[in-house]
Amino acid sequence: MADVKFIVRTADQTRKAEVEMDRTSIGSDIIQAAVDNWALPADTDYALVNVTTGKSLVPMQLLDENFVKPGDVLEVQPVLVAGGW
Amino acid sequence: MIPNDRYQRHSLIDWFSQDDVRGARIGVVGAGAVGNEVLKCLALLGVGALDIFDLDRVEVHNLTRSVLFRESDIGRNKAECAAERVRELDPSIAVTAHVGDFFRVLDFDRLQDYAAIICCVDNFEARIRLNLICKLWRVNFINTGVDSRNAVVDTFPFALNPEAGCYECALPPSVYQRLSQRYSCGGLKRIAFVEKRIPTTVITASLAGSLAASRALRLGPGAPDQNAGRIFVDSITGSSTRTELPQRADCPVCSQLKAPVRIARVDRLQAALENLADAEVTLPEPLILSFKCKSCGRGDGHDTPLFWRASDHDSRLTDCAGCGAEGAVDIEIKDRIPAQTLALIGDRPLPLPFVATGSETGTRVFVLRWES
Repeated sequence: MADVKFIVRTADQTRKAEVEMDRTSIGSDIIQAAVDNWALPADTDYALVNVTTGKSLVPMQLLDENFVKPGDVLEVQPVLVAGGW
Repeated sequence: MIPNDRYQRHSLIDWFSQDDVRGARIGVVGAGAVGNEVLKCLALLGVGALDIFDLDRVEVHNLTRSVLFRESDIGRNKAECAAERVRELDPSIAVTAHVGDFFRVLDFDRLQDYAAIICCVDNFEARIRLNLICKLWRVNFINTGVDSRNAVVDTFPFALNPEAGCYECALPPSVYQRLSQRYSCGGLKRIAFVEKRIPTTVITASLAGSLAASRALRLGPGAPDQNAGRIFVDSITGSSTRTELPQRADCPVCSQLKAPVRIARVDRLQAALENLADAEVTLPEPLILSFKCKSCGRGDGHDTPLFWRASDHDSRLTDCAGCGAEGAVDIEIKDRIPAQTLALIGDRPLPLPFVATGSETGTRVFVLRWES
């Protein structure tokens, strides 16, 4: 299956990269690559959103054309659990 | 008596309906940092009624993030203290403090009176439970979360759209893996597990609180946005994203408990289950059905299930009380069981407020007479 080229960034936008991945990749592959390559805190959970389309990508979602188009910006956001105890 | 000019400034805002705000009853679960900010906003806006749920007491470190608490409040219950301060802000608001775990003190007969329930807790388990309740009862659900930099507000407009995505639709599998690390045997809290605490400041709490209050009051009939969505705000850069949260086909809630939902109050669960044959019943929290020691064979519940609430126990239950062997006890814990198994409850009370059973054609919820 063809590759797709898009932008991945962290929520604070201090990390950003153009990546090319196979359409058979899934959302969690991107999250794992971001955690590994950018040394994001491993004790945090992350969600992936396509900020170009305003849709969230569930971790098992394939990067097919309905969800990710060339040039889209995907953001890795921490799942926030605190309520200020 | 409300002074007539209290809301005079609000009346100058052409899109602001004081009557709509006054007509709203909001449930706020968690009166910590975010809960304080939610309550402050709703009180100053002049909401009609507030129910505040919390089991914790005010501690000194809460004072840097909790606008409603004072040093003299240390040791008091947060819900009671917050309710008192809300009354000071606006004596005309009907505010009630509910002391204890919301799951145990929530009035299930009044759930649909809420315009929204705002979740301001600090753990996934409470969010997951509250999401399930709001989804089944079709109550608008607002989830909040913060860390030291970011704030998030999720809106699940279940009253408007029962097919809207739910909190678990948006939850990554890593959360469940993390939860399982906290438990042994799939449901017993590990006695030696040290919970990670996320430090926060009032900056992110106030962002989350004000956004949550705003979202909760915009979910009336005719609301323009009837899909679940997330607002994520970076408090340092000021950037934000708004994301739609679609329903997920393999969501543990939405895939099992489909609309329409029929809710019935039952006195005897056994009788209610008679016509359900081999249906699977979803329990809102796991129950211990049986246990057996691998070393000495001591056990219970294999003929008649125990139906003990797992949250009342911890990993010490795996140490045998008979022979003393550590970690030798196998414990059967379930959060979904066949209706026939649940029917073995007989006339004993089930220690849960409700159970649910779903099929392709809809979901039935049985609300139980239950005393904590």
